[in-house]
Amino acid sequence: MVNRMVMNVAIDMPAGLMETENEKNTSVYPEVSVGVPLVASPKMSMRNVDVFYGEKQAIYNVNVDIGQNEVIAMIGPSGCGKSTFLRSINRMNDTVDSCKVTGQLTLDGEDIYAAKMDPVALRARVGMVFQKPNPFPKTIYDNVAYGPRLHGLASRRAELDEIVETSLTRAGLWTEVKDRLDQPGTGLSGGQQQRLCIARAIAISPEVILMDEPCSALDPIATAKIEELIAELSKNYTIAIVTHSMQQAARVSHRTAYFHLGHLVEVNETEKVFTAPEHQLTEAYITGRFG
Amino acid sequence: MTDLNQSRTEQIQRSLAKRYRAEKRFRLYGTMAIAFGLLCVVLLFSDIISKGYRAFQQTYVQLEITYDANVLGVTDVGDSQQVALGDFQGIVKKALKARFTEVAGRKAKRDLYGLISNGAGYTLRDRLVANPELLNQTETLWLVADDDIDTYYKSIGSKAGAFIGRTSEGRQNWVAQLVESGDIELRFNRNFFTHGDSREPELAGIRGAAMGSLFTLVVTIMLSFPIGVAAAIYLEEFAPRNRWTDLIEVNINNLAAVPSIIFGLLGLAIFINFFHVPRSVPLVGGLVLTLMTLPTIIISSRAAIKAVPPSIRDAAIGVGASPMQVVLHHVLPLAMPGMLTGAIIGMAQALGETAPLLMIGMVAFIVDVPGGFTDPSTVLPVQIFLWADSPERAFVEKTSAAIMVLLTFLIVMNTLAVVLRKRLERRW
Ligand SMILES: Nc1ncnc2c1ncn2[C@@H]1O[C@H](COP(=O)(O)OP(=O)(O)OP(=O)(O)O)[C@@H](O)[C@H]1O
Ligand SMILES: [Mg+2]
Repeated sequence: MVNRMVMNVAIDMPAGLMETENEKNTSVYPEVSVGVPLVASPKMSMRNVDVFYGEKQAIYNVNVDIGQNEVIAMIGPSGCGKSTFLRSINRMNDTVDSCKVTGQLTLDGEDIYAAKMDPVALRARVGMVFQKPNPFPKTIYDNVAYGPRLHGLASRRAELDEIVETSLTRAGLWTEVKDRLDQPGTGLSGGQQQRLCIARAIAISPEVILMDEPCSALDPIATAKIEELIAELSKNYTIAIVTHSMQQAARVSHRTAYFHLGHLVEVNETEKVFTAPEHQLTEAYITGRFG
Repeated sequence: MTDLNQSRTEQIQRSLAKRYRAEKRFRLYGTMAIAFGLLCVVLLFSDIISKGYRAFQQTYVQLEITYDANVLGVTDVGDSQQVALGDFQGIVKKALKARFTEVAGRKAKRDLYGLISNGAGYTLRDRLVANPELLNQTETLWLVADDDIDTYYKSIGSKAGAFIGRTSEGRQNWVAQLVESGDIELRFNRNFFTHGDSREPELAGIRGAAMGSLFTLVVTIMLSFPIGVAAAIYLEEFAPRNRWTDLIEVNINNLAAVPSIIFGLLGLAIFINFFHVPRSVPLVGGLVLTLMTLPTIIISSRAAIKAVPPSIRDAAIGVGASPMQVVLHHVLPLAMPGMLTGAIIGMAQALGETAPLLMIGMVAFIVDVPGGFTDPSTVLPVQIFLWADSPERAFVEKTSAAIMVLLTFLIVMNTLAVVLRKRLERRW
């Protein structure tokens, strides 16, 4: 409890975070993440977030902001809690019975876990793309149209057609599938399926898109396409992406967050993380000493 | 070095040969098991079919029938009371007497009259009512022979020799005469498919039991499928995991293993004694079979729901589907083939179930073909049980024929299950 209060004070004074700027921070886990976890007028902000699976704690006291139209990459060794943290942001973890999230998480200043926040409405604003492409076993058209239909975003067929077309175009898939919209989405190649899932996510015009290792099942060419797409999407959307590829994080993101065993060790400008990491754990990871 | 490699290779070669032998042996065991199973099926079917196929034919005797108003005591065919009291068996007797003029003496005559089934009179009555102009006219008709004659006639020329049983010498003679003049023959037994049960084997049919089974199964599927699926969805998708749901789960699995007769007792105590549902009717039969099939359907539906990939669920939740929408739009359609397969297997089980129905009075001797859910009726397996228990020789083939009908139903249902699953199955 005492710790918490100290922390809160620290967060209120971002300058305090810079204290260790000059020498490498060598503490095992920093009390607060080093670097610049907080930004001015964030789209989403997370404060003192702890996540538990039953008795087991998976996320320890994470404080971080995601800026408007920012792409933030989350990296870290396997099992460090990146997916867990990401799934807490749009309450996907609600579906896991044993999972409990505490702390303050806000979207545009609204508390995500407040009683009056409807998780279904939240997920319409914070969309998600998963590690394994998971199109519905329906036609390509229906895959994209599903979300808009659910939320009543189109009143006429023509409107829906337009949403489907723009979403597929934005996802860079339109030219490949425009002649076979009535074929099953599961019949596409892995990379196409993943872009279809992205089209499905953006069809409901979410404000934030969460991506959990969207390219891990794809070949380099499909990966490149999706990376291009992320750069394109960041003009309109705020994006948080989990990735195992440091090159990818370096290519697509503005800021990078490094997680270690449930602790958010360092958040910094991407370039800085990969050229001059502040924390010794971050450095160890990016130089390949573990991970 | 090469020496070492060589001995290595030899070692592997030897172990490979051993492995292949073991595999071959294993394949052989498998083939033997399947061959044994097939053999049993073939034996069962050939036994049943060889005994039962005769039941689809019945011995008919051709006679010249005169609808004599005096003998019948019917003057106006429109008068239903007169027709009901009419002595139609009398004109059959007259026709027999006319055919075999040499027969004299009361005993011989009684014997003669026994050539034709007691049911022939009803056939004639129905004909007359349908064609009133036949009164006082004569026509040549094929009439159902008595079951003893049927059994005897069918056994003539068989390897084991003719089965005489209660057939007197006089009757054997008459049959021989009829054979000579071509007035006796086997014809397709329509009665078997249009009649209810009867004490007279030649009149007994499967329709009553088949309709009873149909009505019972309709009640069962209408209740057990929606209830079972709803329970499975609730338990899989919405119920919290705690001690209560664990308890429920264990109990459902236990229920699936409870002997079916217990469900019969339960039905007797609850539906009949407490709720006063009439006994012996498809409604109560269906209720009892619902209790019995529910665990099967719940368990198979839950397995089907569990088999829906979680990634599909995540995808739907991710675009903002509510829990109910996830179930209705994605889980249910994907789980449907499995659920239907489970339901049809449960139905097939229910179709063949006898014991619990004995407890609720569906074992009664019922002549009328049931026309609804609250008409007294019996079901196919109980009918088989009843006929197998009857002393008349002619019921042996009826029993086998009824088994064939039941098996046909089962095969049709299982085929349906396979076809449905193939149709609805979608790959992801
Ligand atoms: N449903 C769950 N129940 C219990 N523990 C879980 C559950 N999901 C994840 N965990 C645990 O939480 C920790 C963090 O897991 P998480 O999936 O978030 O890791 P990750 O960083 O995404 O790893 P990866 O890079 O391999 O995907 C792990 O120790 C994991 O075992
Ligand atoms: Mg993960």
